[in-house]
Amino acid sequence: MADKTRILIVEDEAEMAQAIRLRLEANGYEVLTAADGAEGLNRARAEKPGLIILDVMLPKMDGFKVSRMLKFDENFKDIPIIMLTAKTQKVDVAMGLEAGVNVYMTKPFKAEELLRTISGLLAKK
Amino acid sequence: MIAPNSDDQLLVREIKDKIIWEVKLRYAIVGLGLLLILFSMISRFHLGIFPSLVIFIGAYNTAAFAIYLMSKQTRLWWLVSFRLFSQLFDVVTITYLIYFTGSLESPFWFLYLVMIIISGYGIYSFYASLNVFLIAFFSNFFYLGLLFLTYLGIIPTYGATFTLTPQQMLYSILNKAVFTTVSFFLFAATIYYFSKLLTQHRQELVQKNKELVVALDELRETDRLKDEFVSSASHELRTPLAIIRENISLIEDGIIGAVNEKQRGLLASSRENVDRLANIINTLLDLSRIESRSFDLDRQPADVGELAGKAVALLQDKARQKQMTIDHKTAGNLVALIDQEQVLRVMINLIDNAIKYTPENGEIAVTTERIGNDVMVAVQDTGKGIAEKDLHRVFGRFMRFNAKDEESKGWGLGLFICKGLIEMHGGKIWVESRVGRGSRFIFTLPGG
Repeated sequence: MADKTRILIVEDEAEMAQAIRLRLEANGYEVLTAADGAEGLNRARAEKPGLIILDVMLPKMDGFKVSRMLKFDENFKDIPIIMLTAKTQKVDVAMGLEAGVNVYMTKPFKAEELLRTISGLLAKK
Repeated sequence: MIAPNSDDQLLVREIKDKIIWEVKLRYAIVGLGLLLILFSMISRFHLGIFPSLVIFIGAYNTAAFAIYLMSKQTRLWWLVSFRLFSQLFDVVTITYLIYFTGSLESPFWFLYLVMIIISGYGIYSFYASLNVFLIAFFSNFFYLGLLFLTYLGIIPTYGATFTLTPQQMLYSILNKAVFTTVSFFLFAATIYYFSKLLTQHRQELVQKNKELVVALDELRETDRLKDEFVSSASHELRTPLAIIRENISLIEDGIIGAVNEKQRGLLASSRENVDRLANIINTLLDLSRIESRSFDLDRQPADVGELAGKAVALLQDKARQKQMTIDHKTAGNLVALIDQEQVLRVMINLIDNAIKYTPENGEIAVTTERIGNDVMVAVQDTGKGIAEKDLHRVFGRFMRFNAKDEESKGWGLGLFICKGLIEMHGGKIWVESRVGRGSRFIFTLPGG
């Protein structure tokens, strides 16, 4: 691959974002981060990353809304979104899927699983 | 004046009910009277002044009912006086009846007692209890009046009384006077006493009921708060846990720098224990939702037999380690409306328990079949079984057998959660067991 795939992490917990960033960089991805929902949406629109890892409980705009804004936009609807959150209730999963996310994952997650999911989604593109 | 309160309002409602009930009763009597008149016209049976009596009851009853309906009164004293007044008419009617059926000889004096019962039964308050004594007094007054008028010769005498000498007559009348006075008032006092007793008991019940309702509301609120707390606490716990886990696994995988074998081992054990902690949090969350029955099931039609096959396949390896195999028998179409994930969890839990509590070379058999409209799943083992005195505790919370056994460490919540999940499906779960023979865990699911 000539160009590294860029992945946007939208996560308000700096340590969590940092850990995911290290993991992804070690696996050959380029990582962008955003610390709140609004910033995440702006960066996604500006940079058009190859994939987005999105938290739900975010300042300014929650993950469901960010996902909806992207998935219902012709220009961005093809960017796969992984929702990665500590919310485990079925209602939340349903809301996530309704907001258009491709995969809903709960914290704590297994790194291998996350990587597998990412490569699976990217291969499908 | 007594301030209007809810007890008074209750009493007002009851007296209103009684007034209506008495109006209906009078009309019923009028109706019967009319039938009797009709019958007498056909059979030429002589009724004397009986028709006038029927007309009298009908007239004052209608008037009283009209006044009652028009006045729309809700004051206690007004309703009590109104009721007393219409009952006075009843007493007059009874006296009238006694008069023309032979005064002293009339058998109808017991109707006064009926009036006393009707006026006092079941109602107790200062005003309403006065009623029963007033009716006893008026009944007595009218009856004695009738008797003395007879003695004075103003009212003609009939029958056996006709042949009495004035002396004998006076004696007989005095006799009756003492008897009725004493019996009427004793009767009124008895009715009063029992009504008071009844009302007090009822008030206590009402009070207790109110307290219970309040307590229940508080309990529900506490339960809801607990649910909310557990839910948000589990969310709050998960985020740091995810960071810890990911950091550990970054180091473990050598992404941060070289790690030696010993370090890797410790990191792996840390990671595994983080996972264990995460499982505990899940269990707590499930427990809370199951207890409050707020667990959201995702029910789809699915074949329970196939699902059991899946559970057996998942645990076959574990069974093999103890030199046993899990036998699975299933028959026909076993489709039911279930949350597959949760039912599978129950099956795994039951089979896992069976493996745990069965010694090596034992046998475990899983059967799935349709019983009537339900689907039944049974997990049979050849373990040591459960003593009869423990059977009812098996599905309790924090229930564990052989706590010393390192193999079976756990929270003792597994079966409690199973029970909750099956019951939320509308099914039943139970166990049959004999010490030394093994146990059989059975659950049913309503078939679709």
